Amino acid sequence: MSTFKLDGQDVPFEPGDTIIRAAWRQGIEIPHYCWHPGLSVAANCRMCLVEIRVERPMALPILAWDDKKKQYVSATKPKLQPACQVMAQADMQVFAKSEQALKAQESTQEFLLLNHPVDCPICDQAGECKLQDYWLTSQTKLKRKRTEPVHKPKGVVFGPTIVYDAERCIMCTRCIRFCEEVAKDPVLDMRERGNTNEIVVSPGRELDNDYTLMTEHVCPVGALTSKDFRFKARVWFLKSAPGVCTGCATGCNTWVDFDPRYQRVYRLRPRDNAAVNQYWMCDDGMMTYKRFHEDRIVAGRVRDGGRVAEVSREDALDAAAAALGGVAPGKLAVVLGAQASSEDNYVLVRFAREHLGAERFYLAAKAAWKGDDILRHPDANPNRAGALRVAPTAPATLTELASDLESGAVTAVLSLGSDADVTEADLAPLSRLGAAGAGAHVNLAVNAGPLTSAASVVVPVASVAESSGTFVNAKGVAQQFRKAVSAPGTIQPAWHTLIEIGRLLGWSPDLARLADVRSAMPKALPEASEAPAAPPA
Amino acid sequence: MAYKIHKPARTLSDQSYVPEAAKGLALTIRRFFKNTFSKEENKVIATCQYPDEVRDYPERFRGVHRLTHRTDGSPRCVACLCCSTACPAQCIYIEPAEYEPGDARYGYERYPKVFVIDELRCIFCGFCVEACPCDAIRMDTGVHVPASFDRAHFIFDKETLMSIPGKDGTYVTANPRHEPGDPTHPGVTREAGHH
Repeated sequence: MSTFKLDGQDVPFEPGDTIIRAAWRQGIEIPHYCWHPGLSVAANCRMCLVEIRVERPMALPILAWDDKKKQYVSATKPKLQPACQVMAQADMQVFAKSEQALKAQESTQEFLLLNHPVDCPICDQAGECKLQDYWLTSQTKLKRKRTEPVHKPKGVVFGPTIVYDAERCIMCTRCIRFCEEVAKDPVLDMRERGNTNEIVVSPGRELDNDYTLMTEHVCPVGALTSKDFRFKARVWFLKSAPGVCTGCATGCNTWVDFDPRYQRVYRLRPRDNAAVNQYWMCDDGMMTYKRFHEDRIVAGRVRDGGRVAEVSREDALDAAAAALGGVAPGKLAVVLGAQASSEDNYVLVRFAREHLGAERFYLAAKAAWKGDDILRHPDANPNRAGALRVAPTAPATLTELASDLESGAVTAVLSLGSDADVTEADLAPLSRLGAAGAGAHVNLAVNAGPLTSAASVVVPVASVAESSGTFVNAKGVAQQFRKAVSAPGTIQPAWHTLIEIGRLLGWSPDLARLADVRSAMPKALPEASEAPAAPPA
Repeated sequence: MAYKIHKPARTLSDQSYVPEAAKGLALTIRRFFKNTFSKEENKVIATCQYPDEVRDYPERFRGVHRLTHRTDGSPRCVACLCCSTACPAQCIYIEPAEYEPGDARYGYERYPKVFVIDELRCIFCGFCVEACPCDAIRMDTGVHVPASFDRAHFIFDKETLMSIPGKDGTYVTANPRHEPGDPTHPGVTREAGHH
């Protein structure tokens, strides 16, 4: 691979790479605002100006102050060029830290901050703001302008998810380019010129496509803020754990941002993965974190007659063991969960086959939703492929389960997950099952849903944010995610909970830790890509 | 490097103690008569009768916290969480909220919906006051946290913190904000500007 020199260091590049992209691949950051690896080149922020020395360099005649002569003298200075636009060439000599380049960066930084309100204390971007970062690295002096900054509209509501502050905006046009190029909905544009420049929504429209939160994500400053995250937390309190989105079968890679003090997830951010989601996520995917805390089942539930009683998790485990213990082999229906991890499904299959002698397998999945050809997959389940691979036979549907219950082929049910692609009325045969002894419906669930309402015994389990696991997406890519926060109380992941129920029934598998489960899982599963421990600094 | 400490050598009169004891006793007796029989302004008393008589604290004494007001009585705090970031004892809990659309401050500011200081956990270091970018939190009250038998009494909420005046009896911040919409608000806007 051919290389060029950047500040004396060899940087390899692929044909068609710009200087900034080749450097970015190597983990070298040339200061920039408007350039984004997933968007087209605008070259309007002028932050990435670098000095390029070639045989016949372009030079600009200037007047430079001569301190000895006490007057301006004719001089030349190299013509600086934007690193985001100039193609890398072999044997090129690029200087991003030469005196001229540093001076240009400092001047650009001062220019961008001329009319900035510097309201960092109340700005949600503070802590992850490029203006702050480059203020520290590239600017050494305060701005020289002494007049009042130009005031522009603040708190402009762009749509159901985004609020815009024109005073903080540096007009990098990343949001405009994102809407046009990735979301294919050119709803944002720019109006006016110079210091009255601002981003506007097309007349008669709102910023309401399915990827609006990505405009906030690409914004390098605090101009666009998400209504959901606005004022909720300061980013320096948040830690990140690698996750996988539970919204659909695409399995977008995420950073789960949580506050370790309150053990609460505050937002999801896309995690770059060229093979799956590139740099993006959809709005519904970004909002899936709410289910980590809302509608949660935190205590066991046991139905006795028509009444549902809340019991402790330990009592629910006992009730589940009692319900499963007396079932005749072959009469137990096992419902795998397309929303649960491969590890959970694997332990469920193994427990049911090895110890309970189950032969009938079904799959609970969410109903299909609107897909699109950007990221969203029509299948709304993150791990249908993973559940299918650990199932010993092709699992049947929940409608078939209802008819099997009616016919008496099945007398008890053990299900994982709460979501179903059928209505609660279709699940009526499940809810008719009794509470005690043989003939009950034991459900392991994170959130309340159709299956939990139709269950005789509900055992709470940990959510995706509270456990580590693997999802296999629609393309067959297995991706691991890691635990971010602790589960409430003594709640454990589903695979662990199943082993606990199994122990009560005398099942002692050689699975003690998640690593044991992973190594015991069938080799038919694709090798999972390991999740990184922490986001790059 | 160790410092050498200069110790004055003892003279014979020092070592015999007798003249020094007599000097001390003479001072005591002199003060006794002076403080007993002379006029009030000439008395020299170093102690005070503590519970009945409280000595004034120095100006920079860090007392119980207070939240300063704006002129309209709302908290000056913008809920930036700088104080709770700086707090080494992690005793400040804030929930920020946004003004309603239509409010002149909407888009410009936010305010603390919940502002709680756990005075039991606080170590009175004053970092929160240092960190505050808008003079919203102060420790210039000149009083201690009142004693109590109930732990809950030490959890000071926003209303409690705003009800405590400064030592000079004032509530309003020394760093007023030129509210958007005020005639004092400087600068040009896009609608009425000269660029």
